Amino acid sequence: MPVVALYYNRVKQILGKSIPKTKLIETLPFIGLDIEDETTDHINVEYSPNRPDYSTDYGIITGLQGLLGIKTGMPVLKIKKGKYSIKADPSVSKVRSYVTAIEARNGKLDDETIRQIITMQEDLHNGLGRRRKKASIGIHDLEKIKFPLLYKTVTREHSFVPLESDLSMTVKEILDKTETGKKYRHILDGHAKIPIIIDSDGKTISLPPISNAKLTEMNTKTTNLLVEVTATDKIAAEGVLAVIANTLQIAGFELYSVKVTGAGNSTPVLKSRELVLEPELVNKTLGIEISNSVIVKSLRKSRLDAKMRGKKIVCTIPRYRTDIFGVMDLVEEVALGYGIQNLVPTMPGSVSAGERNDITKTLEALRQTMIGLGYLEVMNFELTGKEILYDKTGREDSKIISVADSKSQEHIILRDILLPGMLEVLSRNIHESYPQKIFEIGTVFEKDSPIVESIHLACLSAHKDVNYTEIKSVLQSLLKTGLDLTCNTVPQKEKMYVDGRTASIMVYGKKFGTLGEIDGKVLENFKLRTPVAGFEIDLSGLAFD
Amino acid sequence: MSQVLHPIEQKLLKTLIVQQNLSPEELCEISKLSIDQVRRGIEWLKFKNLASVIETEKNFVTLGKRGTEAHEKGFPERQLVNHLRSLQGYSCEMNDVKNLLQNEFGPAIANAKKNGWVEIVENRIMLKGYHDVTSEEKIIKTVSKNPSGVSVDELDKDVVESLKKRPEFIIVSSKKSALVSLTEKGIESAKTVQDTIEFIADVEVTSSTEPEAKSVRAIDVEATAPTVFAAKSHPLRDVIDEVREIFVSLGFSEIIGNNVQSSFWNFDALFTPQDHPAREMQDTFYLKDIKAKNIANLSQIKKVSDAHKKGWNYQWQSEEAKRLVLRTHTTCVTIRELADKKHDEARLFSIGRVFRNEKLSYKHLAEFHQVEGVVVGKNVTLRDLMGLQTEFYHKMGIKKIKFWPTFFPYTEPSLQSMIYNEKLGKWVELFGMGIFRPEVTQPLGIKNPVLAWGGGIERIAMLRYGLTDVRELYENKFGWLRSVPKCQ
Repeated sequence: MPVVALYYNRVKQILGKSIPKTKLIETLPFIGLDIEDETTDHINVEYSPNRPDYSTDYGIITGLQGLLGIKTGMPVLKIKKGKYSIKADPSVSKVRSYVTAIEARNGKLDDETIRQIITMQEDLHNGLGRRRKKASIGIHDLEKIKFPLLYKTVTREHSFVPLESDLSMTVKEILDKTETGKKYRHILDGHAKIPIIIDSDGKTISLPPISNAKLTEMNTKTTNLLVEVTATDKIAAEGVLAVIANTLQIAGFELYSVKVTGAGNSTPVLKSRELVLEPELVNKTLGIEISNSVIVKSLRKSRLDAKMRGKKIVCTIPRYRTDIFGVMDLVEEVALGYGIQNLVPTMPGSVSAGERNDITKTLEALRQTMIGLGYLEVMNFELTGKEILYDKTGREDSKIISVADSKSQEHIILRDILLPGMLEVLSRNIHESYPQKIFEIGTVFEKDSPIVESIHLACLSAHKDVNYTEIKSVLQSLLKTGLDLTCNTVPQKEKMYVDGRTASIMVYGKKFGTLGEIDGKVLENFKLRTPVAGFEIDLSGLAFD
Repeated sequence: MSQVLHPIEQKLLKTLIVQQNLSPEELCEISKLSIDQVRRGIEWLKFKNLASVIETEKNFVTLGKRGTEAHEKGFPERQLVNHLRSLQGYSCEMNDVKNLLQNEFGPAIANAKKNGWVEIVENRIMLKGYHDVTSEEKIIKTVSKNPSGVSVDELDKDVVESLKKRPEFIIVSSKKSALVSLTEKGIESAKTVQDTIEFIADVEVTSSTEPEAKSVRAIDVEATAPTVFAAKSHPLRDVIDEVREIFVSLGFSEIIGNNVQSSFWNFDALFTPQDHPAREMQDTFYLKDIKAKNIANLSQIKKVSDAHKKGWNYQWQSEEAKRLVLRTHTTCVTIRELADKKHDEARLFSIGRVFRNEKLSYKHLAEFHQVEGVVVGKNVTLRDLMGLQTEFYHKMGIKKIKFWPTFFPYTEPSLQSMIYNEKLGKWVELFGMGIFRPEVTQPLGIKNPVLAWGGGIERIAMLRYGLTDVRELYENKFGWLRSVPKCQ
């Protein structure tokens, strides 16, 4: 989850009053933030990506003001009519259709404010912007731009000085050589023409979704900003713009509209919306009895506007709250404003008697039987590696089921049997005392339109005198004691086992598994110096359907 | 009561009273006991303070590769002398000898000169005289007779030193040996040992009809017995079973489902949009080259995809929903059950493995167990959910609990529970919970509210067994499995 740094001096300044550190740390979790760590001058908090308005200290403190009762109700965006415009060329609709923008004037930027804004920008890119694919943001020094702007497409030979460089580079070079270019160029794959924003002097100010121009970079002397958002989705573009506009307004900037035209684009309307909430839904869901006025007060503490209309409550939601889908989200806002700590747990009576699953019951009985036979239970991963499953055992690997892009080479293939993992367990324990007797009950996977999952039971006995007869005795006893079954053992050859000391386990005339002594070469591969014998049976179809 | 001595102990005492300071091997030879018996016996006597053992370390000499060769073919200088002796005039060109001795040429010349055996004049080697046998040759001969090594003490130190300088002639290695002697208490004890020591079976069956027939030899009941290990279930299994039992006791019935699921049930049915970061390959395991055939019935697919279009405003793709995943939570099992059976009232739970594409570390696994419980009912509330959670923790022995708001894509409102861990002395995040969103329940025809909560079981197991590295649960180290107590 993304992290925001809350500096105590800034908290005091933005909150408008001073608050003890302990009170701050105590309150933050109740607006849904996790304390990551504390230092002498700041706290790092984690927020859920569904609340991008919490991606800066400005947004978090706006939330705190509500819960602490310092300021309640919805922060209203005040957008004055501006004089600038941006026009989209029809060619952009093939690659990144939408553009939207706003002006933010007369603000002050210090290093920490710039850092907070850049963090917000990155978090919005990753969250609402879906790693820049759906929407991306450019924030520029307004004074460096000659309006009107044009959003259009160019070839990869077009060149300008990008943010990451001091030299002019072609689009192709920016995509191939810069860090952000390499990371996000896949979004532009397959497009001959690349989107750019260019000013009336013909200077490129942005190459969405990759980079801004060096020309318009903001610094601590910048007072006026242009924020532009380009996107493949108009609603997402305005949602992103609303979060930034709201944050910059809290940071002390004045907002001015930018006229947007062309190719299906229009000037953004960052309007709030209304939802009608039934008080009964709130009380029924939360299990409390609170009056309408308490509900209104609670919603306002969650920085929404609310008023009673007849027996219902009309709630106004600012445009930047992209996380609110419907009335149930408002119920949560009431709960937060009311205070989760004020909800007393109740224990509902049960209408039903509980029960374990039938398969669980059978597995538990078989586990008890194996323990009774002197076997220690082990538990291995279902997702394992080729080396253990196939290389060391010499088994056929034609039907492997693997996962894509695993972060670990040892966890890449779903096991089709249990024994290889268990041999690996013996291998890791050669320094421990013998005899070693282990069993495992677990899920295995087989490729078959598309995947069949079954539950196997396998066991291994390792000591200097172990042999086929010993392990057959164990098998017979397990089947008889556990399931009241008898089996036939029919000679067979199988990789991993010794020829002449291996058999199929037959029940009802059908094969359910294999038993035998483990092959010397396999033991060597697992670095085992003690003879090992074992069996593995499929319980699905034998012990349960 | 006087101490009872095992026949082995008696034999050793009798042997040692005759001759003190014996090695286990010597004891073995004199007493005619096996080496294992001697070793065991020494341990017992030590434990009873009847014998003491002095560990000594001695250097032994064995032959190296060249030493063995020198023993078989003669030292290089000896070979040189023998060659010269076979020639008329007792001399030859340097080059002739070079071919004969090859790599040994240098050492042969040097040592022969050092011994005063040869003289070199204008590239010719001339024999001056020779000794029949050198002190170095003597040592090599002695050592060659004892492949297990000869103690340095028995050899001429200076000669050993000079042989050590010749590469690969001899190997000097240290061997530990023990010398056993009796303590004063041991000497006293030895005097009481009878002359004839009879080895009789430790357990004699005494027939009740013949009580006089044979008496049972008394054994040392104080002696330590060998360790045996009880077979048992895995410690993680015990925690899983305990969690299961608590759910059953709270009136919940268990449901199970597959580990491999279509994206439809793992994500789409839970209102997670298809472009959501949680669905990316870097977090989720997708199966390579295999897709689901039938994901759900047509009406379910239509209603779920409509909810996505309305809520998230994008073009929903059925192909994306068919991708097979290793389930990232057990909620897919729950939602399938609810969608199929449409319970009006129910308490259900599921325990099973879930998967995340994580790099393994002390706090993360790529595969772990999760439990999830749901309550379906017309009048169930968030406070009920908090109450059930509290009761669950109480049954686990956890008393201090608090709730904080949080976010899950498929529940609203959502809470997380924090529990106070006495051992760690801090609050730890445990289970998450919430009420299924209407966007999840409505398309699937689930009418009543669904309370859901759950979390990872390994986390509880770590707290239970005091582990700091979650990987230990799956290492299956016998040292741990055999020793961790069943009762915690």
